[in-house]
Amino acid sequence: MIKIQKKDFNVENEINTIKDKYSSIGAVNVFIGFVRDYNDKKDVKFLELEVYEQMAIKELSKIQQRAIKKFKLIDSLIIHRYGKLNVNDKIVLVVCFSVNRKNSFEATKFIMDYLKKDAPFWKKETYDFGSNWI
Amino acid sequence: MKIKYFAWIKDITKKDVEVLNSNYPKNIEELKKYLILMYPSLEKHISKNILRYAINMEYNSKNPSLQENDEIAVFPPVSGG
Repeated sequence: MIKIQKKDFNVENEINTIKDKYSSIGAVNVFIGFVRDYNDKKDVKFLELEVYEQMAIKELSKIQQRAIKKFKLIDSLIIHRYGKLNVNDKIVLVVCFSVNRKNSFEATKFIMDYLKKDAPFWKKETYDFGSNWI
Repeated sequence: MKIKYFAWIKDITKKDVEVLNSNYPKNIEELKKYLILMYPSLEKHISKNILRYAINMEYNSKNPSLQENDEIAVFPPVSGG
């Protein structure tokens, strides 16, 4: 499942919605990305995340399908937020569900690596003085 | 043809989308020439191959022919996650 949304999400609820469907799941690996307060020697006040939404859905679906096939996942969930996000807000959630831990660990890294490289999202950081696309 | 601009590219173009009719670029190399002509500040980024181009929401590393009803996106390296 892919979700691109402005609103926050509850990690446990999101995981349980999928976990409850499969008793075959033995391992769930989770990556959460947050807005941090310091980057490139500057205090970050907030982020604005821009997305090319239709392409992001396509790219994330491709990445997810490759991961499901390559690591024999039972299921996978990617949530990526956009809009204005404050320090400590969640940005992204990647969850991989598999029979054993090894595949869920590796699949999560695989998805995040491709997401960072190809998913069309852009961050603009705002500081005390000015802002910058990163 | 619809051309969409994202992130700091649209700070340079001062618009996030434009529509070209009969005089649309016929391939990505022509698109680059059009962008440089219309938005000279993009030239240094185009010449350093920093920008990415998507055709109908797909990356394309070659130089395929573009069609009148294509949606092209021009954007900097992505920074999600």
